Amino acid sequence: MIISRLAARPIPLLTGLLIALILPWMIYPPVALDIACWALFAAAVDLLLGFTGLLPFGHAAFWGGSAYVTGLIALHAGLPFPVAVLGGAAAAALLAVPIGYLSARLRGIYFAMVTLAFAQVVYFVANQWRGLTGGENGLQGIPRDLFGIDLSDPFFFYYAGLPFVLAGLLAAWRVVRSPFGRVLVAVRDNPARAQALGYPVARYKLLAFVLSAGLSGLAGGLFAIGHGFASLDEVYWTTSGQVVMMVVLGGIGTLWGGAFGAALIVELNDYLATAGFQEIGLVTGTIFVIIVLVFRRGVWGTVRDALRARAARAVPAPGPDPGTPHDETPGTPTAPADEVPTRPAR
Amino acid sequence: MKALGAAAAVTVAGAMLAGCAGGPGGGGGKISGGKVVLAVLNDQSGIYSQLSGQGSVKAVQLAVADYKAKYGAKAVAKKIDVVSADHQNKPDIANSKAQELYDRRQADVILDVPTSSAALAVANVAKARKKVFFDVSAATTALEGAQCNKYTFHYGYNSYMLANGTGSTVTHDGARNWYIVYPDYAFGQDMNKSFTAAVRGAGGTVVKSDPAPFPNDNFSSFLLKAPTLNPKPQVLGAMQAGGDLVNLVKQYNEYKLRDKGIGLAVGLMFLTDIHSLGPDALAGTKFTDPWYWNADATNRAWADRFQAAAGKRPTFANAANYSAALQYLEALQRAGTDRSDAVVARLEGAKVDDAFARGGTIRAADHLLTHDVSLAQVKPGKDVTEPWDYEKVLSTVPAAQAFQPASPTCRLG
Amino acid sequence: MLQQAFNGLVGGAFYALLALGLSVIFGMLGVVNFAHGSFYMLGAFGAYVLLDSFGVDFWVALAAVPLVLGVAGVAVERLFVRRLTGLDPLYGFLFTFGLALILQDAVKHEYGVQSQPYPRPPALSGSLDLGLFDYPAYQVFVLVVSVLVCAATWLLLTRTRIGVIVRAATERPELTRALGIDVGRWVAPVFGFGIALAGLAGVLAAPMRAVNPLMGADLIITVFAVVVIGGLGSIFGSVAAGFGIGLVSALGNLYVPALSQTLVFIVMAAVLLWRPAGLFGREEAAL
Repeated sequence: MIISRLAARPIPLLTGLLIALILPWMIYPPVALDIACWALFAAAVDLLLGFTGLLPFGHAAFWGGSAYVTGLIALHAGLPFPVAVLGGAAAAALLAVPIGYLSARLRGIYFAMVTLAFAQVVYFVANQWRGLTGGENGLQGIPRDLFGIDLSDPFFFYYAGLPFVLAGLLAAWRVVRSPFGRVLVAVRDNPARAQALGYPVARYKLLAFVLSAGLSGLAGGLFAIGHGFASLDEVYWTTSGQVVMMVVLGGIGTLWGGAFGAALIVELNDYLATAGFQEIGLVTGTIFVIIVLVFRRGVWGTVRDALRARAARAVPAPGPDPGTPHDETPGTPTAPADEVPTRPAR
Repeated sequence: MKALGAAAAVTVAGAMLAGCAGGPGGGGGKISGGKVVLAVLNDQSGIYSQLSGQGSVKAVQLAVADYKAKYGAKAVAKKIDVVSADHQNKPDIANSKAQELYDRRQADVILDVPTSSAALAVANVAKARKKVFFDVSAATTALEGAQCNKYTFHYGYNSYMLANGTGSTVTHDGARNWYIVYPDYAFGQDMNKSFTAAVRGAGGTVVKSDPAPFPNDNFSSFLLKAPTLNPKPQVLGAMQAGGDLVNLVKQYNEYKLRDKGIGLAVGLMFLTDIHSLGPDALAGTKFTDPWYWNADATNRAWADRFQAAAGKRPTFANAANYSAALQYLEALQRAGTDRSDAVVARLEGAKVDDAFARGGTIRAADHLLTHDVSLAQVKPGKDVTEPWDYEKVLSTVPAAQAFQPASPTCRLG
Repeated sequence: MLQQAFNGLVGGAFYALLALGLSVIFGMLGVVNFAHGSFYMLGAFGAYVLLDSFGVDFWVALAAVPLVLGVAGVAVERLFVRRLTGLDPLYGFLFTFGLALILQDAVKHEYGVQSQPYPRPPALSGSLDLGLFDYPAYQVFVLVVSVLVCAATWLLLTRTRIGVIVRAATERPELTRALGIDVGRWVAPVFGFGIALAGLAGVLAAPMRAVNPLMGADLIITVFAVVVIGGLGSIFGSVAAGFGIGLVSALGNLYVPALSQTLVFIVMAAVLLWRPAGLFGREEAAL
């Protein structure tokens, strides 16, 4: 099922995979790893924003929470880094249960603000619990052990970490394509209707929240191992804001779009910082505002729609028109989940 | 086998992308990559950008000019680049920037790095990469204590020096009861510990010491509490830095604690702090200063050169960066190469006497620069005769007393 | 203790002014204005620039800066936020997030992050004898202004025709539209009014707190928690929660300093468990 679905669209998929594989040859390898981690983080957030209609503004709690747990496992238990990263992801998912229970009942802006507030609590806890987290010193010197293989060169570590990112992306993709994912979309588009159809809406939202947190944790843990470092910045609200920006830049509800957003922001940060320009928010903020005002489908969404429009002109009658999913009954099993409206429900 | 594979892959990567993969300079020359790269890693846009920032980059360039002028054609380092990067006072950014500076931009030495947490992060990178690191602007004694390493030097000042100078002097002067308010992070905790020890060592008492949130803009609860403590403190020890210090001092004046018999002592003060508060807000406050631009003719001459280059008077951090860069280049000259191990060997035990340090020694045991420091007092506004002339030097603390003895926890390895 | 409670009320005065503006804007537009903290910061910087470059004193700034920012707010609504009406309000939130980044970094670019000095106005530089204790006159002034502004806003909203329309649109938006009242006309002025309140808070903060580009960023997160506690869109709720949270966190600071920054969020979690729409909010808005 997965294989056939993946095989159905080989060219974009292979292109994406190829880019992922040659990335550290093209750019500075640590930056390549950052892009990969943020891409997975963005996909995890899109799972909520694009497919569940919830705007999480506190996912730094899971990315950063996992960064700390991953770091602690690697530092103190001396376990190989994959175990540490998975442990971090599990911890993030666990942390998401109480937070999700309290916040996933809310909708719209309430949800965004409440997740933001909970993330601040996690931030303050990380700040106060100095014995464990190192306070603002952070956790330093996190090892990247893999059965004695030397991964100190960031070029090699990229390839050691990439499978985790790909696995995470595959999992996110699998989720949105599953019946579960379709129910999420139905919940997003019309919660009352989904409830009436007998779906336990709250439980579905909570499950999506936990899944998203787990994937964010996977990304955050890998990020911590890659940097050899876990710091308070990872749990700060600016991190939550940054990942949402990436998702919106790439295109809400496109899942892969976040990777574009991640590449754009990470590269821009690297470029501007190297060029000595400090006020990065001036540039990213402007781009972001333009996207929100004019190109709400994001970079990936806009490009994809343009390509499809061309294809539609070239080949008449391309089957169901992907451009008008608004009219479709939400959650219709035939509508691919990543082609439903890019507009989260209020 | 593994190492060989790695080397081969690096070569391939390097061939594909000339200039991007900065493997270890394996050439036979004395200077790797044909040039010496001095990297200033500090806060270029944040709260510490005024006290060090771009000014310290200018200071390092002055050191390069002096080195070239002194050795001319005999200079071992023919080509010297000064590069800089912004770490935004964040340890994780400092960590990745340091790696980038050593690897991608082929830095031979990293200088400055304010903020203790960031400094410790860079020390870790220096150790792993076996490259030289001079920390100038961070205060933590961990750099020459438990977290010291062979390639890291601590240059200019530390929390022990500040506490020892200010804490014991103020206590000896009669303010025996202290109330300490410190920012609740590594620097503040370190300062609190050092000050408490110094006050007790001088026969005083710390009535209470309170952690304040960091950053914080409202210190009223501490200021209100101060006069109610028993015994009543005679001095408020403020361990805040930068913007927090500005807030605290503002509010200290608002609550008129001085009129209530509670003096003010500041743990770490930069010239730029006095400048932004105005001298009257701080008049009479005593503090320890590693270097003051208008203390003597030598300092003043250098300050004039600095002003010509940077357009303002130097802080001690600017001068210390100049000195650190100069001493690095001198050691490199003596070693005849930029190989880290050789330079480190020449730095250990070196005597330093320049525009920044008097009676200075780079201690071989823990890589701490010890030098004479000053006890200073903020002038009232009416005594300020020219711009930036805010301090009166009260006395000099000789190097041997100013700094702590080498810590047994330090293993340079 | 009593003095600390007073401190809490002064801190709460800022929360209340900011939360009030946020709530009015939210009620009218359904948008939570992330840039509210940035406008607060701009208010403080406005006062600083007026004094530093033009020698204009605090009292003029207190009137002029909120006015200018209010007009700027109207322009932002007309030019940008209006384009997002009809869409999910989350887009408004995202837009203002981007705007906050731009404003903050623009000021940072111009003035750097170090704090700029702003003296308190000479007339208020002393302290007042409040019977039980002496208290800085300026802080008393801040408290009085905040209470007066909140009360005036309340009167404006309850006693005038415009106010009734706005309040109806704020607290019962669907119903108001259903009654055929042209709410659209009032959107931009209300947005501007909310921004002006943030600007006023900023000017009031300038002599008391460090004037720097980041002063609004951290505060706004706390104010979000305040409005969630009070109930989004509830005008009374946001003011009450503003002063209440100021009081609670000041007293908390006295007894458990370690919790001082977390306390407001803990209160928020507790309130949400008990009343998901906040203390004075309407249930159906949140769930």
